[in-house]
This record gives sequence, structure tokens and C-alpha cells, in this order.
Amino acid sequence: MAQVLPTGLPSTRGRRARAVAFRVLMLGALAFVVGPALWLVVGVVGRALPGWRWNVLTTLSQGTSGGLANAVVGTLVLMAGVLILAGTTGVLTGIYLSEFAQGGRGVTVVRVAIDVLAGFPSIVLGYVGYVALCVGLGWGFSLLPALMILSFMVVPYIAKATEAALHQVPTSYREGAEALGMPGGHALRRVVVRTALPGIVTGLLIALSIAGGETAPLLYTAGVTNNLPTWSLLHHPIAYLTYYVWTDWNQPTAAAHVVSYDASLILVVMVLAMLVVARLIVSRTQRHAESAT
Amino acid sequence: MDEVTRRQVSDAQLASVLHNLDPDRDRPADVIVAEHLSVGFAGQSVLRDVSVALPRGTVTAIIGPTGSGKSTFLRTLNRMNDRVRGFERQGDVHLDGESIWSPGQDLLAVRRRVGMLFQRPNPFPMSIRDNVVAGVRAHGIARGKQLDVVAEMRLREVGLWDAVKDRLHGSPYRLSGGQQQLLCLARALAVGPEVLLLDEPTSALDPLSTEAVESLFRTLTPALTLLVVTHNLGQARRLSDATMLFYDGQLAEHGSTAQVFEQPRDARTARYVQGLVG
Ligand SMILES: Nc1ncnc2c1ncn2[C@@H]1O[C@H](COP(=O)(O)OP(=O)(O)OP(=O)(O)O)[C@@H](O)[C@H]1O
Ligand SMILES: [Mg+2]
Repeated sequence: MAQVLPTGLPSTRGRRARAVAFRVLMLGALAFVVGPALWLVVGVVGRALPGWRWNVLTTLSQGTSGGLANAVVGTLVLMAGVLILAGTTGVLTGIYLSEFAQGGRGVTVVRVAIDVLAGFPSIVLGYVGYVALCVGLGWGFSLLPALMILSFMVVPYIAKATEAALHQVPTSYREGAEALGMPGGHALRRVVVRTALPGIVTGLLIALSIAGGETAPLLYTAGVTNNLPTWSLLHHPIAYLTYYVWTDWNQPTAAAHVVSYDASLILVVMVLAMLVVARLIVSRTQRHAESAT
Repeated sequence: MDEVTRRQVSDAQLASVLHNLDPDRDRPADVIVAEHLSVGFAGQSVLRDVSVALPRGTVTAIIGPTGSGKSTFLRTLNRMNDRVRGFERQGDVHLDGESIWSPGQDLLAVRRRVGMLFQRPNPFPMSIRDNVVAGVRAHGIARGKQLDVVAEMRLREVGLWDAVKDRLHGSPYRLSGGQQQLLCLARALAVGPEVLLLDEPTSALDPLSTEAVESLFRTLTPALTLLVVTHNLGQARRLSDATMLFYDGQLAEHGSTAQVFEQPRDARTARYVQGLVG
């Protein structure tokens, strides 16, 4: 049979072999992604649960012992702040790049800036924040410099995800809105951004998970405290979970290790809860999407 | 009415009464007039010197080979080409006697008055009801409970009400292609256009849906003026009062549909309508 085929056409057997190879590669890739994720979750849950006490959530930390209430609230405050600051800036930047940018030097500057931010090591960014904001402007270890540095870190993810999601919106939706004489802003809000929402939310989720899981830049900007966050943006240090994951693990006592595992578990649960909530929001707004049918 | 009463009203009187009843009596008889319209993209000429007048309340078909500029002509009439890169134009288009590009003209208002239906149905990713009122909302024509009234009225107008009244808040993409196109028509009608531009509106539909959409178009005149691009010559004959034939960016022929199909003046038209070209 094989000789009958014109040269250059793969034989059936070759095609099968390639299909099998592709499947194997694909499964391998999936295992590479799913395996560590499962291992992490199981590992953290398995070690934290035996020593788990609910009052970790309600009592304040006392150095390397005590609870984690201050850090839980601190991380939530940081994540909420990043959602507001980086979320707004990132989504607006993405909308600008996708919908309004006409090319030219200004756009190039924005794109390069985004790439620079995305490529910057977080610890360097943290150090720059420490030198420029905490010391230079005299803000001290506090919420605002921590928020700003975290936001600089994650804005590129949000902007790029937003831009990519907006590019995916079918031209026919835009033209349909245009042909109705919809004002541009109205079409953007009601039709375009709404269609792009799943992609935008994905970007926000990645950004928030990074912000919640980051340690290095916070060591330089947030400081740490045994107290709950105050309402002040400046001069008051703020606690966060990853600090305890890291420092308590490096303590010699078993009690400190338990706190470290507790902090990890809480962080994992927070990220998972965020994913679930985001999926719920997306599926609610996308129930009329073309792909939902 | 018997012989006697009818004689008492002279033709002139009748004409004057009818004239006064006509809501469009103060407007020009031709709703859209293109004057020496030439259009190009980045130096490449697409339409050359098109002059045509479309009488109010009529259906005009646009036929012609692929790439002859039919869609470009249509999209120029509601200024959809304005923002296209490299768009250039000479000549003018008048809507009710005023240039659509005159400084006093509001772009969004022009598009509201000159609606458009596309080749593929393009409902928005929102509920059926929200689709119908999307334009109405944007223009602030109605709000709140009124929107439900508008939605029902327009869905009834396009004959879709009974099919969708139980799933107004459901997804539009579960409707058939023909139903989706009717939904888009309802959406276009809801903002109260004077002219509807239809770019191959039934080419993505099966014959039965085509039949349904076509028969609906006929009910829209004389309240609206329709301009239909079609590759379906049968559709052009069934539907239109007048026919325009584009050939290579030029208006090769324009006349009553009967004339264009039966006594074409242009040799290219003759070959095209006999199915020899295109
Ligand atoms: N945005 C654009 N930029 C450059 N050229 C364009 C643009 N739009 C249309 N053209 C060109 O204009 C010519 C006419 O295109 P148009 O879409 O008007 O043809 P048409 O008659 O509608 O064809 P069809 O029957 O295939 O839909 C084509 O040669 C096309 O390549
Ligand atoms: Mg076309």
C-alpha cells in the first residue's frame, strides 16, 4: 500500500504513530501540571490538619507562637488593595491597548514598560520600594508601599490578559453595536468588555494569587506586626501569611512548624475559594455566551 | 362606497387628502441620494462615481459580482467605513436632504436612522430580551418596564414572539439561524430606523428561513426603505422595486427590477442576470 501513496504524504502507520506520540506528550504535560498541584495541596493539608486549631483564625500572633489572625486579615487587605489598585490600572491599560491605541511611540512606551515590569525580579522590586518609598519618602513599613510594589508586579498580567481577551471579541459584536448607533463607551461596557470578562477575570485571579503568595517584596515594604491592620496607609507595618510560612518554618520548635503549616493551609484555602467564587461570577455573566450553548 | 359618492371626490382632492395624511409629506421623496460617490481604501479605488436616488418606502436590490463594491457601498451609507484604515471618499450622500457627513450631523443619529443587518446573524451575548432592546437602551429611547413593552412589540413585529415568549431571558444562540436573524432584525427595528441596509441577509439561512425573512421584509415597506445586497437573483426579483447592478466599482445599471432583468441596457447586466457572469 505504502508505495502507492504519492511521496510526501504520510502513510497511515506514520500518522497513527504521530497521533499516539502526541497523546503521550499531552498526557505527560497534564501530569506535569496536575501532579505538583495535587501533591502540594495534599502535602499542605495532610501536615496542617492534624495540628489544626480553629482559634488560629481568631488569636493574634506572638512572634513565633500564637495565632494568625493578624496575618489572615493582613493578607486579605493586601489582596483587596491589589484588586483595586492593580485591577483598575491593569484592566484600563488593557482596554487602552486593545481598543484605543492607534500605534505610535506612546503605545510602544506602554508595551515596553509592561514587559519591563513583568520581567523584574520581585525581590529587586521590593528593594527598590524599600529604598524609594519606605526610606526615601519616609513612609516606613506600611500598607501603601507594599500595595504599590505588589501592584507593579501584577499589573502586566492583568493588562496582557485584558488585552488578549478583548482581541478575542468577535468583530461581528462590535459591528453590530456600531450599526445600532451605540455610543462607543456603551458598546464597550455592555457588549465588548462583557464578552471578554472570563479572560479578564482569569488575569485578575493570577494576579491575586501571585499577590497573596508573594513574600520577598513584602519583607522590604510591609514589615511585620503582631497587630491587626489599622486603617492607616502609612507608617504602620502590616502582617501577611507568607511571612509566617517562611519564618516559622525556620524556627527550631515543632510549635512554630505547626504555625507555618497553618499559614500555608489558610493561604491555599483562600486561593481555592477565590477560584471558586470567580468561576461562579464568570458562569453567571456568561450564561448567554455563544460558547455556553 | 357606491358610484355616486366616489364621483363626488375628484382625483385632485383625493390626492391632496392623501398627501396631508402622509407622515413623510414634508420630506424629500428620495430618502437617500448618493452624488458622484467615489470610495477607496489607502489609494485603491473601490467605488467610482456612483450617483443614485432611493425613493422612500421602496425596496432596492443590489446585485453584482463578488468584489464589485456592494458591501462597501452599503457600509458607506451609514458611515461604518469612516473609521476603516485608509478610507477615502469623494462625492456625497444625502439622508433626507442633508449630507451624512455635514458637521451638524450626529454620527450616532445617522446610524440610528440607517440601520443594518449583516450576512451572519450576530446577536449579542445577552438574553433574547436584552438583545432586542440593546439599541433602545443605548439611545435612552425607553427604560425600565417600557423595555419589556418594546421587546414584545418588536418580537411580534418580526413574528418571533410566540417562539421565544417563554425564554426571553434565555440565550439567543439556542435559536435557529433564521430566528437569530429575525432577532437581529427586531433589534435593528427597535431603534426606529428610516432605512435598513441588508448585506446578504439570508445567505446563511436555509430556504424556509429565507422565505420567512423575505416575507417579513415585504411588510416593512412603505414605513421603511430597504436596500438589500443579494447574490440570489430570484430574491432580487421577488423582493425589490428597483435593482442596482455594480460592476467593478461602478453602478453599471439602475432601474426598475422588471426593466433590469428583462430589458437590461448594459451588456454586462444582460450577461449577469442570465447567469453567465459572477
Ligand atoms: N477595509 C478595506 N480595505 C481595503 N480594501 C477593501 C476594504 N473593504 C473592501 N475592500 C475592497 O473593496 C472591494 C469591494 O469589496 P466589497 O466587500 O464591497 O465587495 P462586495 O461586492 O460586497 O463583494 P461580495 O459579493 O463578495 O460580498 C474588494 O476588492 C475589497 O478587497
Ligand atoms: Mg459583500
